[in-house]
Amino acid sequence: MARRDGIARGALIASCTPVLAFLLLPSLVIVPMALTKGQMLQFPPIWISTHAFTDYLGDPDWFASTVLSFKIAALAVAIGGLTGAAAALALHGKRFPGKGLVVGAIMAPIVVPLVVLALGGYLVFAWLHMVGGWIAIGLLHGTLVTPYVFISVQTSLVAALNPLLVRSARSLGAGRLAVLRHVIWPAILPGVAAGAVLGFAVSFDEVVIALFLQGPQTVTLPVRMFTAIQFELTPKVAASASLFLALSVVVLLTQAAAMRRRSA
Amino acid sequence: MAVRALPASAQLCSPYWLLLPVGLLYGALALLPIAVILRLGLRDGGSPLRAVLRSPLLLRAIENTVVISLLTTVIAVLLGLLLAAAVWRAGPRLRAVLWACILLPFWTGVLIKNFAWASLLQDNGVVNTLLQTLGLADAPVTLLHNRFAVIVGMVHYVLPYAVFPIYTTLRAIDPALERAARSLGAGRRGVIWWVVLPLARSGLSNAALLVFIISCGFFITPVILGAPSDLMIANLVDYYVHDLVDFDRAAALSLLILAAIAALIGLQQALPKEGQHGTA
Repeated sequence: MARRDGIARGALIASCTPVLAFLLLPSLVIVPMALTKGQMLQFPPIWISTHAFTDYLGDPDWFASTVLSFKIAALAVAIGGLTGAAAALALHGKRFPGKGLVVGAIMAPIVVPLVVLALGGYLVFAWLHMVGGWIAIGLLHGTLVTPYVFISVQTSLVAALNPLLVRSARSLGAGRLAVLRHVIWPAILPGVAAGAVLGFAVSFDEVVIALFLQGPQTVTLPVRMFTAIQFELTPKVAASASLFLALSVVVLLTQAAAMRRRSA
Repeated sequence: MAVRALPASAQLCSPYWLLLPVGLLYGALALLPIAVILRLGLRDGGSPLRAVLRSPLLLRAIENTVVISLLTTVIAVLLGLLLAAAVWRAGPRLRAVLWACILLPFWTGVLIKNFAWASLLQDNGVVNTLLQTLGLADAPVTLLHNRFAVIVGMVHYVLPYAVFPIYTTLRAIDPALERAARSLGAGRRGVIWWVVLPLARSGLSNAALLVFIISCGFFITPVILGAPSDLMIANLVDYYVHDLVDFDRAAALSLLILAAIAALIGLQQALPKEGQHGTA
């Protein structure tokens, strides 16, 4: 019977192959397309030229947008990291009626359509005369980052912080700050780091909010790409897309490392 | 001998005021915006809301959104079930490979994926080259800027979201149940049909609702991969803001979207939770 099950498993995995190809195909064509010689995106590419990359990095507008996107993502991670980690700590080990609702509210930015968040944010920032500034985009991206940090800190808390540890540290005479530094911080650090990487990718990739809150000096890289893609599919766009692909590989490796630590 | 009592705060990990940062952030950038949206959308006795509801564009956008999202949901849940089952049945090494294949696109932004699809599906793209090389088509087939391309792009985006809840319920199934069914004479197909699928039902319905909710909010994909006639509800908000510069109507439409999302989430909460069955 074990043998028959093995065959069934093989058939199941074989039938998944086209689905896996469908999932990976877009990621696989981006870099080769960026390496083409012509000004047209084509596949198979006319190998090999790095002109798309020099076009991309040599264009001052595209370069400025790249720097801006890094700046915004850094701010978003700082804000989302603080709020998400603090919220995960506050709820750790607690049971109270309505906890599910609080968690649901913290996770809400994942399911609320971005366009609604973007419109609401635009209206509030317009009132504060902050539209067109990078701070506004970073702050709003902070709400998107929060759920990711919250989840990953929560996971590492469950894995590494027994509430009794805090109790015994206190009973042995540790003050609040000492507990924070020597007990809580080491426990949440992997979660904060993983959440920060995920959150960075979320902010760096985001288009809709950045589109609504953009100003002449604050066109993020995704917004510039979004505009460019609607008019032309050029190797230059593929070159900048390669940067995003590299980022998602980094995220994947971070997650793999986090998973290995958890199972170890 | 009296044991010195610990301070009350030491009983629990950390104080509730740690919720303050998230409260401030969400209050300022989620609740306050919703209040402003409410005020604008319902001003003058709700006239923006009535104007939006009377607009023929709204009907078109709702129809597009529901049809495209439903098709996306059905395809994504079926493919998601297949992938989740493969991950569930795979050995540890293959499982890691499968997860990597599922998570790499998951962590790639929607814009990048849509750009890749646009270049794959264009007239001189990979897919058309392949079709012509295989002799399946004589001339380039129009695959881009239509509803087909939108659904391809959306299924590709939401597929990992379908895999997660289905995998969670599959993993919770007690292997003894399967052995019991086999020993009672069920064939392999019988086990899938009478044991696995019923136990995975909560994961399937959760996956379907999650995917549908996410699909309804799509904005980028219809613009890049679709035709102008594939306008979805989020694009209509953008149209009111950037083409008509009518924030009142944009706000009124956002209220309708929020109400629909809230109703769908309410429905999701009413469904049985992941892994609730099967571990018994």
